[in-house]
Amino acid sequence: MTTAVALSDPVLDELRAILGEEGVLPNLSARYNRTRVPSPFPVHRWADYVPDVVVLPRTAEQVSAVVKLANRYRIPVVPRAGGTGLADGAVPLRRGIIVDVKLMNRIHDIDLVDRTVTVGPGINMLKLNEELRKYGVIYPDDPASYPCSLVGGRIGTSGWSLIGGRYGHTRDLVISMQWVLPNGEIVEIGDGGGRKIRKSSTGYSLKHLFMGSQGTLGICTEATLELVPRPEVEFSPFFAYPDFQTAYESTGALTKSGLATLAGVVLFDEWKLRYLRRDDEAYIPQPDNVRAVVATAMYGTKDEVTPAAKRLMKIARETGGNYLGDEISQGDWAARHDRYATPLHGRLRNGQVVPMSWHCEDAALNYSVLPQVRLEWHAIAEKYIDRYGVFDDWGMFFYTNAAHKPWGDYLVEIDIGIWEQKLNDENWAAWVQCKREITEVTLKYGGSITACHGSTREGDAEYVPAEMGGGFEVMKAIKRSLDPNNIMNPGKNELDRAYEDGGFAAGEG
Amino acid sequence: MVGFRLSAQKPPEARRINDDVIMRFDHVYEVAPEKMQIFPQQDIPAWDTLRIVASRWDHLDWMHAHWADSILSVEELEAEEP
Repeated sequence: MTTAVALSDPVLDELRAILGEEGVLPNLSARYNRTRVPSPFPVHRWADYVPDVVVLPRTAEQVSAVVKLANRYRIPVVPRAGGTGLADGAVPLRRGIIVDVKLMNRIHDIDLVDRTVTVGPGINMLKLNEELRKYGVIYPDDPASYPCSLVGGRIGTSGWSLIGGRYGHTRDLVISMQWVLPNGEIVEIGDGGGRKIRKSSTGYSLKHLFMGSQGTLGICTEATLELVPRPEVEFSPFFAYPDFQTAYESTGALTKSGLATLAGVVLFDEWKLRYLRRDDEAYIPQPDNVRAVVATAMYGTKDEVTPAAKRLMKIARETGGNYLGDEISQGDWAARHDRYATPLHGRLRNGQVVPMSWHCEDAALNYSVLPQVRLEWHAIAEKYIDRYGVFDDWGMFFYTNAAHKPWGDYLVEIDIGIWEQKLNDENWAAWVQCKREITEVTLKYGGSITACHGSTREGDAEYVPAEMGGGFEVMKAIKRSLDPNNIMNPGKNELDRAYEDGGFAAGEG
Repeated sequence: MVGFRLSAQKPPEARRINDDVIMRFDHVYEVAPEKMQIFPQQDIPAWDTLRIVASRWDHLDWMHAHWADSILSVEELEAEEP
């Protein structure tokens, strides 16, 4: 529907006038390096996605000027932060301008009285927390990409946090934002007004509209974030079980325990144990009767965590769990803050090792349907592994997904390895079809396609209207109203449909 | 100055752990070479393997200290009980 116009010298000259020579990168390496994200990518069609130019703004005013220019020339704009996403929010589908926010990485204000920190979208949470440590506070947003993802990307995707059961997820931890709208106007976005106000009933709650908008409604240029007391104690026991059903029921009991310091619970299924026993130092030595695992983590003051830890151990043991030991528990939990440090490889049917990239499905589903969804997803994966020989089933995790309460719904993840070097049109089409079948199971059981990555890639995106129902009409109306030229990240979330009845689209002007 | 000599850093002979895994250094598991026929494992001198393993443990210790002042172990928890 839309294609970018080739960027002419006058456009590049205007960009340089806005950003300076060093803020405009038209060279091939800068553009190719900002094309994909870590999740499986159609590498055989890499050139189709390369942006026309990369810009590195330092201020909201520069971002605003770039967006206004893009409107004049009808050039697509795609914001990009860490580029660590496991869906395609930061991947340009129509080329255009990549707005890389990495230089907007300053801490603007630390307010220890009202407990907030205000930052640019290019700051990384780990680096932020290194600075906050000296004040005895922490910003507890903890994705698997913790050491490398950036605040702007967390906002763009409405991220999920490993310890969200206690502290909440990105949407709960961001209090307000400064935002450049698709027309270039700079506005403040919060629950109501007031940059540091956490709860308001004034007007619409715009924060939640822009949170997770995947760059389709503009660009975050500043964020005011929550500060919580730095935990005195961490407690992270892992338990082994002889079968999935016992581990599943134990997970239910643990998550409903009412222990307020319980920050997260993770259930590993039998496929995950087979995968880990094959390739993970913590699980290779485990006996065959370890067929499922439950990981837990508590954070808080010592006076809170110590008695709660005793209760947690009692519940786990009474429901069939065997403690896996301090070394595995503590080592594996620490590694969960940083899954991107794991070198990835998969296995072919004959056991041969090959390099594979990581697809991480991230549906949100209720506790009651987890056992059945698990069987149906694995059956789908098995079919495609058999037929194409370039995929590998790495098993499933079920993570607590509700904010401030670890029960009810789960981030359900099946990890599938894909041998990217073997991708061609046929294998990629097979992968997309596999994704569609997985997505259809999610919707059949009343789930949501994505808990945290966003519905921005083939196999997910085409189901957004089905999941949203009548709400998708509202989405289209909002998109068309705020972005009449379809400048912002066109092609995502099926939002091109907002322009089908005569709307004007980027590249067609 | 002593130059780098691969021969002086040859890893110990591998022990078989199971069909998929071998071990040359204690607690350091490696994919069995026969499972790496398409992409053979490169030669890695002993010092480099040990450096990578030590760095991993340093990283995990750092991550614990990053998130909380102290780690409560089950051993410690249960030692407190009457």
